[in-house]
Amino acid sequence: GDTEVRTLKMAHTLDQTHPVHQGIVFMADRLEEVSGGKMTIDIYPGGQLGSERELMELLQIGSLAMTKVSSSPMEGFVPAMKVFNVPYVFRDNEHFWRVLNSEEGKELLLAGDSVNLRGLGYFDAGSRSFYNVDTPVYKPEDLTGQKIRVQQSQTALQMVKSLGGSPTPISWGELYTALSQGVVDGAENNPPSFYTSKHYEVCKYYTLNEHTSVPDIVLISSYIWNNLDQQEQVWLQQAMDDAVVYQRKLWAEKTQEALDAVQEAGVTVIRPDKKPFMDKVQAMHESYKGTEIYDLIQTFKAM
Amino acid sequence: MDWSVVVLLVTFVVLLILNVPISIGIGVATFAAMLFTIDFGPAAVTVAQRMASGVNSFALLAIPFFVLSGLLMGRGGIAHRLIEFAKVLIGMLPGGLAFVNIISCTLFGAISGSAVAATSAIGGFMIPTMEKEGYDKNFNTAVTVASSTTGLLIPPSNILIVYSLASGGVSIAALFIAGYLPGILVALSLMAVCAVYAKMHGYPVGRVPSIKEVGKKTLDAIPSLFLIVLVIGGIVGGFFTATEASVIAVLYSLILSVFIYKEVKIPELPEIFIKSVETTAIVMLLIATSTAMSWMLSYENIPQNISAALMGLSDNPFIILLTINLILLLVGIFMDMTPAVLIFTPIFLPVAMELGMSPLHFGIMMVLNLCIGLCTPPVGAVLFVGCGIAKTSIAKLIKPLMPMYAAMIVVLMLVAYVPAISEFLPTFFGLYEAK
Amino acid sequence: MKALSNFIEKILGAFVGLLMAVMVLDVTWQVLTRFVLKEPSSYTEELARFLLVWIGLLGAAYAYRKKAHLGLDILSQKLEGIAKRRLDIFISLVCMLFACVIMIYGGSKLMLLTLELDQMSAALQVKVGYLYSVIPLSGLLIVLFSLDRIVNGDPEPEELEFYE
Ligand code: NA
Ligand code: NA
Repeated sequence: GDTEVRTLKMAHTLDQTHPVHQGIVFMADRLEEVSGGKMTIDIYPGGQLGSERELMELLQIGSLAMTKVSSSPMEGFVPAMKVFNVPYVFRDNEHFWRVLNSEEGKELLLAGDSVNLRGLGYFDAGSRSFYNVDTPVYKPEDLTGQKIRVQQSQTALQMVKSLGGSPTPISWGELYTALSQGVVDGAENNPPSFYTSKHYEVCKYYTLNEHTSVPDIVLISSYIWNNLDQQEQVWLQQAMDDAVVYQRKLWAEKTQEALDAVQEAGVTVIRPDKKPFMDKVQAMHESYKGTEIYDLIQTFKAM
Repeated sequence: MDWSVVVLLVTFVVLLILNVPISIGIGVATFAAMLFTIDFGPAAVTVAQRMASGVNSFALLAIPFFVLSGLLMGRGGIAHRLIEFAKVLIGMLPGGLAFVNIISCTLFGAISGSAVAATSAIGGFMIPTMEKEGYDKNFNTAVTVASSTTGLLIPPSNILIVYSLASGGVSIAALFIAGYLPGILVALSLMAVCAVYAKMHGYPVGRVPSIKEVGKKTLDAIPSLFLIVLVIGGIVGGFFTATEASVIAVLYSLILSVFIYKEVKIPELPEIFIKSVETTAIVMLLIATSTAMSWMLSYENIPQNISAALMGLSDNPFIILLTINLILLLVGIFMDMTPAVLIFTPIFLPVAMELGMSPLHFGIMMVLNLCIGLCTPPVGAVLFVGCGIAKTSIAKLIKPLMPMYAAMIVVLMLVAYVPAISEFLPTFFGLYEAK
Repeated sequence: MKALSNFIEKILGAFVGLLMAVMVLDVTWQVLTRFVLKEPSSYTEELARFLLVWIGLLGAAYAYRKKAHLGLDILSQKLEGIAKRRLDIFISLVCMLFACVIMIYGGSKLMLLTLELDQMSAALQVKVGYLYSVIPLSGLLIVLFSLDRIVNGDPEPEELEFYE
């Protein structure tokens, strides 16, 4: 009936202090506001309903409405997402957001609709950079022989390899121990994650080489989306778009906070010349020739 | 109360009493409860997906590998030599072998960070060995199960890392140091139980050995002792992770028992491998369906609803803390540790902090509390592994476990009401500032 | 039925034992490549997890055949003769129902869904649907073993092995 409230179940893997979680909370509040209480989002944080890959599967199965994923685990579902794991496609943050907000960026968001994963919007997840236990990295050569933890993704593996490190896939949960016991020598992530994961307790050098800018993507199951009436779709999209603006500002603040805090804790933050790093990955860019990824890289670079 | 909870509990208890395999009972009950909110088709697919996801974990590899190395150590003469060695050291104490068991489980749990791995690795040979020496099998299994959980408090410990994330920022280094005292206290309290138990049942007390005997047994045990050096050294030295250490244990015990001691013949190996799969699979199916159940509970917001109802009962700080502990013990009975930490930290930590508890103190208390849940039926990973290895029934383990639950609860109360037990060491090492 | 079940039990045992050996080699290779060769392998971690899923679920069917799964046997220890037999048949029916609905129906739908939507694994770049195919497979085996139990009676549960 008319009085019924539409509740969407949304699960993700981040903890509740994470700026992306706070963006999602903002989105839920906004949705209640714009829909006059007719729609709400129930949030399940902290991976209590599964890993990112599993949550996407649950969207495909239809037992979960929404999730937030990083574009790396999305590679297995939507191959075009690989483009975000290719290093140095974007010149800077401004370029990055110009691409995301362009027609091509929006098209990419909908690329998963055919596999029941419809993108609603991009959240800022900053740029990923290397951190090392006891080796300061100023130039790519400093990565030689360093075992760097990567996410389970072929693109991430190639990325570290092309920059000169030895990529080592280790699960995020095992990483703190692996770093402190020396199983790996370093890892790579954005400043807020470096801070909240406490990896700065072990890794004393953080090199802001910013090799990849990997957005977080809010997804809705296409079944659920198609079941919403047009008005509901408009409300949901409105809440998403407002949350994106809010979350970008929050992310910038949290990044600065994180960098201040790790330096306070004794971490040396290095701001290297990015040119030698960029030069190193040209061969990797070329290796995509003849694939849709190559075309995407070229389109993005030209923007 | 939520109808889905009623259906879950009734279905599960009825199937349990009728002796349906627990793993399958959990799966059926979960599916039945799920049907209240999810359609038949997606519910069946979701249970199947959660089952596969529950087992799809690298950290769980420690289970099959330590089960396998346990079998090899048992048949290959490694376990025998290690225990002979331990016997000449502390066999003359009442309940000496039980002490050996507790120390082994604590050490092993400490380095591997996995209670399940400790139970399978140590229990695999300690349970039958103790039985041969005249100890009751169920008692042996209970000792193994209870003492294996100490490794979750003594670093490294994945569950404390999970807590650090869930609590939004307690230092992992501080948590690790904080876990030592409570972990050791649990081990000591279990030893006290064993000493009393052994005296009451007149368990064999070994004689004091001669110096010559000590020398010979030590020399005999050196290659076997090297296994421990290899595993601990490898982890500490950063050559491999705790999970990978389990495969190193397999390789070393394989070489030692087949080529050095020659007590296992190569044609016997296939049967040993199949045997290890069987034990592993019993545990894996339990983990699989428990994962589905934990998922369903979270999905229906059941833990939050129940605790909200219970927390409204009092405003006395002592009672509130007691209530939190009772709820967590209850949670631990039905839920696995990782989801429990993820779900309940955000619910209880703010309450605890209002009572003046530090997040560090609360985390240690919570993990210790949930450790007890790991060895209580119906859902307790360590208990399952213990039963699987000893091929005994859960019902038979309850009686010998009772005094051990009591000992662990005493330590839990100490940790809950005496903050210094958790906070002294981290403060002393400058990793933490007590308020 | 009995002969078929026994035959399949043999093959299943040999197969899971083999998978276990492969898993040992795989993780050994992982340590070797990272520590000795300094060139960490990218697929061993994923392969080990996939093998564990297969070993866990196929092994579950094998353990079911051996009547090794844990249960609360207070009631069934008290029963004898026809009453015990009836209870055993009921238990087999519950297991069969679970295998049919969750493992065969749910598992094959999951397998088909992931195959159709073309989900690829991160490291090995194989279809995740192949990983999930073990769920209905194990379900089919449990149904077969259940039928054998209903027709021919339950085996004795496995006993503790002594190490000499
Ligand atoms: Na530990
Ligand atoms: Na329990």
